[in-house]
Amino acid sequence: MFQKIYLVYGLLVLGVTGIASYRGWSLDNVDQVKNVPRSIRDNPGSYRAVYSGYHHYTGGK
Amino acid sequence: MGTGAPTSGAPPKPEVKALQCPKCGAAIELRSFGHAVSVVCSGCHSILDAKDPNLQILQEFQRITADVAPLIPLGTRGKIRGTDFEIIGYQRRSTTVEGIDYSWSEYVLFNPYKGFRYLTEYNGHWNDVTVCKEVPILDPRLESTSFSSANYLGEVYKHFQTSGAKTTSVLGEFPWQVRVGEAAVVTDFIHPPRVLSREKSTEEVSWSLGEYMYGRDVWSAFHLPGSPPAAVGVFENQPSPASTDVKKTWAAFAGFVFFLLLLLVAFDLASQKDIALNASYTLKPGEPKGEASFVTDVFELKGRTSDVELTTSTNVNNAWIYLNYALINQDTGEAWDFGREMSYYHGYDGDGSWSEGSANDTVTIPTIPSGHYYLRIEPESESGHPQIVYQVVVKRDVPVLRIYGVGLLALLIPAIIITWRSMGFERARWSESDHPPAPILQREDN
Repeated sequence: MFQKIYLVYGLLVLGVTGIASYRGWSLDNVDQVKNVPRSIRDNPGSYRAVYSGYHHYTGGK
Repeated sequence: MGTGAPTSGAPPKPEVKALQCPKCGAAIELRSFGHAVSVVCSGCHSILDAKDPNLQILQEFQRITADVAPLIPLGTRGKIRGTDFEIIGYQRRSTTVEGIDYSWSEYVLFNPYKGFRYLTEYNGHWNDVTVCKEVPILDPRLESTSFSSANYLGEVYKHFQTSGAKTTSVLGEFPWQVRVGEAAVVTDFIHPPRVLSREKSTEEVSWSLGEYMYGRDVWSAFHLPGSPPAAVGVFENQPSPASTDVKKTWAAFAGFVFFLLLLLVAFDLASQKDIALNASYTLKPGEPKGEASFVTDVFELKGRTSDVELTTSTNVNNAWIYLNYALINQDTGEAWDFGREMSYYHGYDGDGSWSEGSANDTVTIPTIPSGHYYLRIEPESESGHPQIVYQVVVKRDVPVLRIYGVGLLALLIPAIIITWRSMGFERARWSESDHPPAPILQREDN
């Protein structure tokens, strides 16, 4: 029983992996923003980046 | 009771001979049509010779061994593997291991055309038992060591346990001369869901083959009211609910991994990996002083919806740079916003040289439709940083290895769980045997 479930599950994993590869899925954290104004090309500062003000690494051991 | 002698020329009528217990006078009912060798009086529990017309007493007791209560009453009829059987006999047997008595029940089943069959029950675990048609081939080591195996009809059965069994109480009819106190050495070999049992008494050696049955199936076969007693623990030949064959699971896993690699190679060969943008930028010392963001030239991402890989290579050296990126679709106004930090530090201390971080970074932006895009980049760094040069490369349609890593993990985890469950079940099974798993032995030693 478990073996049959595993076979079906494995095929599902292969299928999802194939779809993920084809569609170009990613594990990275990226935010999608809609309706960005065209004026950004002329005035890049008018865009408020989602990750602006991120706490940065200060470095060093 | 009549003599049966004809009084006229008419054919004689068949007459029933009433059987009575010679000890207590209770009526004796024979269900097996003369096939039984011994029968137990239901009144005084004396064991009688069923082959003797006078029912000679074979064994009698000072006190009634009446504390016998079969779960399935004698006379109950049911269908086992498509054949009707009636329960005609019952015996309780026990064995003593390390001072503890373990008891189980054995039912004698009878069908006038198919003969005898048996049902055994221990702690809610049932076995459908038949006498072996041929003598199994024993591993020659059986007599010299405690570990061995037996081969029956081409199937290898592993030795499980050898113990002394004693009959403690009996009821009904038996196809052998049963006695309370009868002793035998029982050796069980298992190949779940089957168990091969060898019984060695002073007179003979007999072999039987049992197949595990669930209580609910027994109850259904005999149309018994209520529900069967719950099975306690793991029985010697109980089929593992986790998986009957872990090897097959791992064979399936190996097959899946093969196809996963095939998928990776196929997508790697088919992917475009087109470089859409390759540009270098410099963050001069002291910058940014004001607004630092800028945009790149417009580039085209071609083909079907797929991922975009953005690689940033910098020359940071004991410094860091943080880049706020936005990949903006010029045609639709959609943007994908993300920040990446590159920091690389190194030095020496009492432990020697050390380094941490990386000057380079790669990020994959998922499911980007084709179109015309540009990047908005906003660099940040600490004050007083040196000049930092960074190169930005945008590639279209690049296979993401981590997706395959997740796929591999998704395949591996259930296989491990199945194996773990199966191992746990087998450990519980064998812990009751003459060959308990090693850690249990160690615990006992401690």
